[in-house]
Amino acid sequence: MGRTLRYSISILFLFIGSSFLAYAQDTIPITLKIKIGIEASGPMIYYADKKILNTEGYISVDLNEKRSATIAAGFLRYKFSQYNYQYLNNGSYIKAGMDFNFLKPDKAQGKYFIGVGLRYGLSRFSSETPSFEITNYWGTTTSSLPVRNYWGHFLELAPGVRAEVLKNFTLGWSINIRKLIYTSTGNDLKPVYFPGYGDGSKSITAGLSYYIVWNIPYRKIKAIIRKDVPEEKDDTKDTGTGTQNTNSNSQQGSTIRQ
Amino acid sequence: MRKVFTGSLLILVSGFILFILSCTQGSCFEETKSSIKATFYNDITHKPAAPDTLSLHGLNNDSLIYDRSLKVQPAIFQLKASDLSSSFVITINGISDTLTAYYSNYPHFISKECGYTFYQHLDTIMPYTHFHIIKSIEYTNKTISNLNGENIKIFY
Repeated sequence: MGRTLRYSISILFLFIGSSFLAYAQDTIPITLKIKIGIEASGPMIYYADKKILNTEGYISVDLNEKRSATIAAGFLRYKFSQYNYQYLNNGSYIKAGMDFNFLKPDKAQGKYFIGVGLRYGLSRFSSETPSFEITNYWGTTTSSLPVRNYWGHFLELAPGVRAEVLKNFTLGWSINIRKLIYTSTGNDLKPVYFPGYGDGSKSITAGLSYYIVWNIPYRKIKAIIRKDVPEEKDDTKDTGTGTQNTNSNSQQGSTIRQ
Repeated sequence: MRKVFTGSLLILVSGFILFILSCTQGSCFEETKSSIKATFYNDITHKPAAPDTLSLHGLNNDSLIYDRSLKVQPAIFQLKASDLSSSFVITINGISDTLTAYYSNYPHFISKECGYTFYQHLDTIMPYTHFHIIKSIEYTNKTISNLNGENIKIFY
């Protein structure tokens, strides 16, 4: 039993050691930032269609070169009418979560983002149906639903791109895919549209967001870049002339052979 | 990285155009009327049995839902959303009876495109039994909605 344990520990140390041998570490300086952004498409849509006003702002804090903690808040004023009903919704929402940058630190340089955001959203809104009518065999019946306040909960997945176009000034966009978790409206009176989520009759909604962001640098860190150690060619395996000249160069994450 | 951003700008602009286009209103393709779905059964064998002929209309409503229609199975008819009861004159194989349904109404949102309808919770549905053509009624699902599925069984 003791011998088995010794062997196991030896193998573990060998494995860890080989990991250190395979890679050398280098660092680059990265500036962590506090980002304050606004969602730009909401006011633009309102300019074209006065029935929907959606405004959203967010604050994001870089935790390291890969992850940022984000909190967003917004407001919605929504009116909808068609031949058989009218609908009004007013309310606000908050979303909190994390952004994950898939770019390597040397590519991202603290300026670029290609990644995904994961958020939990909470919405508080008032919903009213001033009139609706139904027509069946017995004729047309008109009714209404009074103003009532409700809650909505949802999850959001937001893959997107952001880039610093001017010093400390970033533009970007994301696709927002939202999954409805719960609304206090019940199953019969699902909201036509509610803040932060969209069409409340659908269990999954999608949208696009466009961001204008102001960055405030707050701290500098050294991000570790993993570099491959040049591979050594095993000459004993060479066949043919036996005088093959191999130069190996290493760059971040890849080996170039000439 | 600049190339990535230029590419993303193109996606951003095209995405915005798509987004604006996606805001155009859709059409309603769903059933919007809530209806009772009544299946006919033979009272002796207790097996489904469509009547040879069926006529159905609302009491004090001349518009016919079925007019000597052949082998109707199931019969589909709607309730008055502005009232708590609806009566129908039903004629099965030439013999007439009156059915009265007692229920409560509640609004139901279908979709943004279709709007609202009224669902009903069925309390009772009773034949007047002038000629005893309807022997009994059994409830399968007391929620009267726009969805498919049997609500009552009519034994005759």
